[in-house]
Amino acid sequence: MLEVRNLSKSFGGVRVAHDISFAIEPGERRVILGPNGAGKTTLFNLLVGELAPTSGDILLDGKPINGLSVSERARAGLSRSYQKNNLFENLTIRENLMLAAAAGQRKTTGMFRDCFGDRKVRETVDEVAELVTLTEMLDKPVRSSSYGNRRQLEVGLALATRPRILLMDEPTSGVGPAMIDGFHRLLQSLPRNLTIGIIEHDLDLAFDVADRITVLNFGEIVFEGTPEETRGNKVVRDIYLGDWQSNA
Amino acid sequence: MFKQTRLRSVVLAATLTGLIAYCVMGGFYAREIVVEIAILAILAISLDVVAGFGGMVSLCHGAIMGIAAYAYGILTVKFGLPPLPSAVAAVAGAAVFGTVVGWITGRTSGIFFIMATLAFGQMAYTLIFKSQWLGGDDGMSGLPRFDLSWLGIKMGSSLTYGLFAIALTAAVYIAAAWVLRSAFGRTLGGIHANETRMKALGVNTILHRARAMGFSALLAGIAGIVAAQHTQFISPELLFWTISGEVLIVVILGGLGTLIGPVIGAVAFISLKHQVSGITDHWHIVVGLLLIVIVVAGGRGLYGQSEHWLAMRAGKAEDKTGDKSGDRGHA
Repeated sequence: MLEVRNLSKSFGGVRVAHDISFAIEPGERRVILGPNGAGKTTLFNLLVGELAPTSGDILLDGKPINGLSVSERARAGLSRSYQKNNLFENLTIRENLMLAAAAGQRKTTGMFRDCFGDRKVRETVDEVAELVTLTEMLDKPVRSSSYGNRRQLEVGLALATRPRILLMDEPTSGVGPAMIDGFHRLLQSLPRNLTIGIIEHDLDLAFDVADRITVLNFGEIVFEGTPEETRGNKVVRDIYLGDWQSNA
Repeated sequence: MFKQTRLRSVVLAATLTGLIAYCVMGGFYAREIVVEIAILAILAISLDVVAGFGGMVSLCHGAIMGIAAYAYGILTVKFGLPPLPSAVAAVAGAAVFGTVVGWITGRTSGIFFIMATLAFGQMAYTLIFKSQWLGGDDGMSGLPRFDLSWLGIKMGSSLTYGLFAIALTAAVYIAAAWVLRSAFGRTLGGIHANETRMKALGVNTILHRARAMGFSALLAGIAGIVAAQHTQFISPELLFWTISGEVLIVVILGGLGTLIGPVIGAVAFISLKHQVSGITDHWHIVVGLLLIVIVVAGGRGLYGQSEHWLAMRAGKAEDKTGDKSGDRGHA
């Protein structure tokens, strides 16, 4: 469904992604692991088109999408959430979700009808709000919302476009255990045919939700396999799981 | 995101009523002032749509108005076409020009957008200024007004024309308010608030910005038609960049991103001009000082500041238990 072939990216002499190749199958849940600075977010930026690769190809449904802009890739079904909240600060949570839902339903250009009054847009907003447990908060302005709610909205915006592939960049960064559990439940309630890529630091969550795990280090893929294989792999343990093993 | 609040509706109705009263009860001179206000208000509303709600500070709105006026002049005077279809075509032409400018400049933002629009405007000005066919700096005269005699309306009278200009101002405000609340307007607001995110959500922001410039230019074109028919004479001065600068001042004076603010700004600007210029030739100094005060006070403008005060007072009354967010955010 989403495939990457020999993808590399350098900023001058700094190599942030090197010869990355992988393929995510339809409906697969792929977790990307790796220490800070491994190039995980860079990889997402390359996938959605916010960065242009130095070399290599990105394929969606077998067709190269290198030439497509960010918005074209989004319209092709690729949606992402950000590691740092990237919201519409001066609007309410409802208005945020409405903008995303309207964009996903291509209701952005009509000059006569208000997309905020559109029944399908409202339905999507209600459904997504339920999924990310923001139903009670809908009319709160984002700027006076809690960090946790913003984190939920960050994922909500990506979901509200009704993507085919959802890429989430550390959706649980900075939130407490209760919210990580909530996120876990969210993942379980998402349709099984939705393809998901997650950058995640919470290893319990990662091992639990992943069909396959890709481990990055210094911009390269150092391991790919099932969660069980990942646990048992020595390279992975050395570079990333050392702490976790000793804590466990 | 635009909201047509009750306060805004009341202020709009009151302003229009005041203009109508001044137009009906005043003499020829008063009606000249009313038309002057109407032209400036329409142009300022048009600029606020892109500058206030899309973050696109254009310095070519005078030129867009002038292009519509000249297109109207060419079609009526040079080709002898009837006024109404000529006006429609002229406004459509302005919209096309605006869309093209918007599309080409859509990749730029901030100071670069300002400079790019300035360049487009000055190019149009120079082309018309140099054109012998269009009368060069002598301009073009003999432009007809709409012929509404079949409705029993004499457009030649200063009273009728004054009321016509006020009616168009109201129509333009309503059209702008309507579009800002449409799917298109909401999306424009989203792009203004967070362009990166709108792209990630799948919106072609450059194309959307171009459309916004096109719609704004359509409204600016209407100002051009009113101006052309008013004195029935046009000159390249209409397209000069200082006109665009003046409109921007009017928008900020009244309240950027409030839509009604530009109307208030136009009334204040023209009133000041006529009142103060009776006392001193340096009326621009007064406008300049007022502008500085407004910008230093937070840049909300005459209307925006008043709305802010009222909201603060209402907030204090309610604030016995509520939270103090202390926000100073404005559109």
